[in-house]
Amino acid sequence: MRLPVWINPRNWRRKKPPVPFSVLFKKFKSILERNNAILELIADMGDKLGGDYIYDRQYILSSCEKLGDQVFKLVSDLSFLCQRKNVALFNAFEGIQHRIAEELAGRRTLSRTDHILPLAELTHDLADEGGNKMASLGDIRNILGFAVPEGFVITAGAYFEAMEQAGLRRLAAETTRRLCADGGQDLAEESRRLRQAILAMPLPKGLVRAVEQAAKQLSGNGRELLAVRSSAWGEDGESSFAGMYESVLGVAAGDILDAYRQVLASLFCEQALRYRLHHDQCAEEPAMAVGVMPMVAAAVSGGLYTYAPLGEQDQAMVVSAAWGLGKPIVDGTAETDTFLLSREPPHKLLSADISCKSTQLSLDPQGGTRTLEVTGPARDASCLSDEQLARLARTAMNLERFFKRPLDVEWAITSQGDLLLLQARPLSIRPRACALAPDAAEAAREAPVLLSGKGITAMGGVASGPVQLVGEGEDLSDFPYGAILVSRHSSPRFAKVMPKCRGIITDVGSATGHMATIARELRVPTLVGAGPATRTLRQGQEITLDADHVVVYEGLVEALCRNELVREDVFEESWEYRTLKRVLRHVSPLTLLDPQSEAFRPENCKTFHDIARYVHQRAVDKLIGLAETHQEITQGAPRKLDTRLPLGLTVIDVEGGLDPAAGPGIEEKDIRCRPLKTILDGMTMTGMWETAPVGVDMGSFMSSLTRTFGADMAHPARLGRNLAVISKEYLNLHLRLGYHFTVVDAYLGGSINDNVIFFRFMGGVTDLTRRSRRASLVAAVLEQFDFVVEIKGDMVTGRVKKHPTRAMLDKMFMLGGLIGYTRQLDARLDSDEAGQRHLETFFNRLAAVKETRE
Amino acid sequence: MNPDTPDDSPVPHAPEGAASGPDPSPRRRRTSILILDDEPIVCKRLKPFFQKAGYEAEAYSQPAEALARVEQRRFDVVITDLKMQGLDGLAFLGKVKALSPDTDVIVITGFATLETARESFRKGVFDFVAKPFKLTKILEGVRRIEKERGLVP
Repeated sequence: MRLPVWINPRNWRRKKPPVPFSVLFKKFKSILERNNAILELIADMGDKLGGDYIYDRQYILSSCEKLGDQVFKLVSDLSFLCQRKNVALFNAFEGIQHRIAEELAGRRTLSRTDHILPLAELTHDLADEGGNKMASLGDIRNILGFAVPEGFVITAGAYFEAMEQAGLRRLAAETTRRLCADGGQDLAEESRRLRQAILAMPLPKGLVRAVEQAAKQLSGNGRELLAVRSSAWGEDGESSFAGMYESVLGVAAGDILDAYRQVLASLFCEQALRYRLHHDQCAEEPAMAVGVMPMVAAAVSGGLYTYAPLGEQDQAMVVSAAWGLGKPIVDGTAETDTFLLSREPPHKLLSADISCKSTQLSLDPQGGTRTLEVTGPARDASCLSDEQLARLARTAMNLERFFKRPLDVEWAITSQGDLLLLQARPLSIRPRACALAPDAAEAAREAPVLLSGKGITAMGGVASGPVQLVGEGEDLSDFPYGAILVSRHSSPRFAKVMPKCRGIITDVGSATGHMATIARELRVPTLVGAGPATRTLRQGQEITLDADHVVVYEGLVEALCRNELVREDVFEESWEYRTLKRVLRHVSPLTLLDPQSEAFRPENCKTFHDIARYVHQRAVDKLIGLAETHQEITQGAPRKLDTRLPLGLTVIDVEGGLDPAAGPGIEEKDIRCRPLKTILDGMTMTGMWETAPVGVDMGSFMSSLTRTFGADMAHPARLGRNLAVISKEYLNLHLRLGYHFTVVDAYLGGSINDNVIFFRFMGGVTDLTRRSRRASLVAAVLEQFDFVVEIKGDMVTGRVKKHPTRAMLDKMFMLGGLIGYTRQLDARLDSDEAGQRHLETFFNRLAAVKETRE
Repeated sequence: MNPDTPDDSPVPHAPEGAASGPDPSPRRRRTSILILDDEPIVCKRLKPFFQKAGYEAEAYSQPAEALARVEQRRFDVVITDLKMQGLDGLAFLGKVKALSPDTDVIVITGFATLETARESFRKGVFDFVAKPFKLTKILEGVRRIEKERGLVP
């Protein structure tokens, strides 16, 4: 991309024409506007992941284009404002732009280049690297928090590297092309040739070292045997390759490479080639990641179907179990106990069929496995206790809710009684009764509606269960399994019980808040801002929440819940969802957090959000600098505002923000800018400012103020300078107070549609826990006042718009109070309870002041 | 590739052929919706969404197939994309209105301009929704149609 002409340094030799302040200021304003537009666009794109919206490929392409365009212009604006080229920033921009283009073109940019990834780092976000099966296991371990055997995955990237180096990647592609062209002629022969080549291929040295070392470590220096499992792209996922690929069990660490090749070769077995041929996947290159885990020395093993494949038992799940290892069960050669359990909690045992188990497969301490005779009472005893069965059932239902599919779960219980999950794959049979979607439609029409049409879908889906009302600050440790959490406010505290609860409904709250993010991660159907939910729904009442349609039905609408599990396509598996999510990795995370740190540099901008943050900071610094040093070029000259509180505020009036009769030194009474006047009133009148902790007087406050100014504020003339750029309706406020850095950008008093407040709060010198407590406190306050809130690290942003001017001014007044109140707060936020207490104190005081004001 | 053909499972009470007289079922007749969008993802998501909300829904990503279907039977509501390969949404809209003037049409489009909106409304479109849209928004549109047409008690 060519740089705009005016960035050419030759145009800016020393004798650059002085750019009038009004022009620079206009640029500054356009930076702020663009910055907000970019952040909104980013938030918009993030919202689309929530399942509330219908969007298509076109939307993803056009929003990426729009965003790239805006960010480019933002960087250009900064270059103009600072009269510098900013090459590093342009480079960072282009790098990000390129990575996004690659994602959109379908070339998965593997975000990790590792040969090996530990299971502990794997989730569905890394499904490209780890393959579907291992990524699911990663979700089970890392998101849902269930125990799985520890292990690692040899990535798809490693597969490509090995195939490439052996010259087989091209051979595989050509073979596939030929087979597709002539309809699978000589498929068996082609398959054999390809597989033999892979079985014999040399592996890259680095890969060999990494795999051998990891296998040695995992096996405890060769003491334990390993299971080597296929985890191909698409396996167990959007396309079902279930059972086609090979897994090798009982592998000694020394034989790991042969087992690895064996699994790789199965990618081109006849069955798989034929499947791809008939499912229109000729154009997509397949890849095989491979999972390696220790064999579990199981006391009991088995399988579980979350839906029994029996016509008359469509509300049951079925468990089969036997002593020892699970292989004979999977192969169907073992005598097994069979249990039918109700799908509904408490998962009543419907039937138990205990067989005579004469043999069991066990790990041989010498290596390999061997079949032992089962003796004594164990032969005819049930291999699972009621308690173990209940635990299995609860676990399986949690998995099913997360994956939104009936599942086939492989599990093992160790001699210590630990339950380990070995694998969970979609069940290919579907519950018969829900094949008919109209059932669900009919059920939905006939069920009594308790709430409808009010609320925002934070996470889509259907859930049913008893209502559990949760009060402010209530202890959650006894939250009942399988209930639907109903609360007045949304709260990140609920994250703790999300694995236990089936759905969440809150009276107020935002779809972009912290809690909503976690609900999406865990796929818990969640409705926020549902109005009178806590008043309408009774404790213990059975309800069905349909978050997609924003409806709460009375009772259990069975058909609706079943329908949820047989969606033809799980939204999260669609190309659109996955691509948007992958693109957003280059767009929305904020990694550039602390402007004081060494790392706050253009080279370190990894996302568009980083660039926007960087530009904003530099623009503000620049404007303050300009106002300080180039007073002669400013038209609306900066003036010192004498405030009741020691704010050290410099004001630049763009238009009508100050009394025209006011002199160079101005006082609060001269302010005509309503947003500024109101926020200052909030700081003063709420009395929040005076809530300094005991022992901290104004003197020490001032010293804490001076302490916080870092190197870039070293110029003595700048000390204590805070900046407000104002007009009659507009306020752009940059405030450093104590340890905090606050930005308020507000436009109030035009038409209701133009009314907007943006609030950002960050900084702090205490430890991260306290800072994040403070961040949650600020977020909770903002949410209460209808702000759309986002928390990133210790930065909180809140946006609210399109409320009537009067209501917006109330919010400004509250922000004034909040700025005052949080000024010294972190030092005292020594516990979560303290946070809760402060929240109440704040609201109480605000309410008191409000009464006297009105 | 056309992954989203209508229900192949036989629907017990689905009327066959155009306006096949009174519903044989004693239950209230469900409002019928046809969805046409050449982006399969839109079909894949709207169809189950409407089914779960109590509607009879069919979805097509091939304009020709949708055209053949509306010639076969009438729908209460048609939801169509505007810009598609092979057929312009406005042309489809014209066909639908010619075949069955009391079918209401909702246009969904990613290229919303004042011009296309005006053109759509002139051709008798009931509602015009810009993509991306919230699911609840399109549901509201359909509910308004039901109310105006007296399809709900």
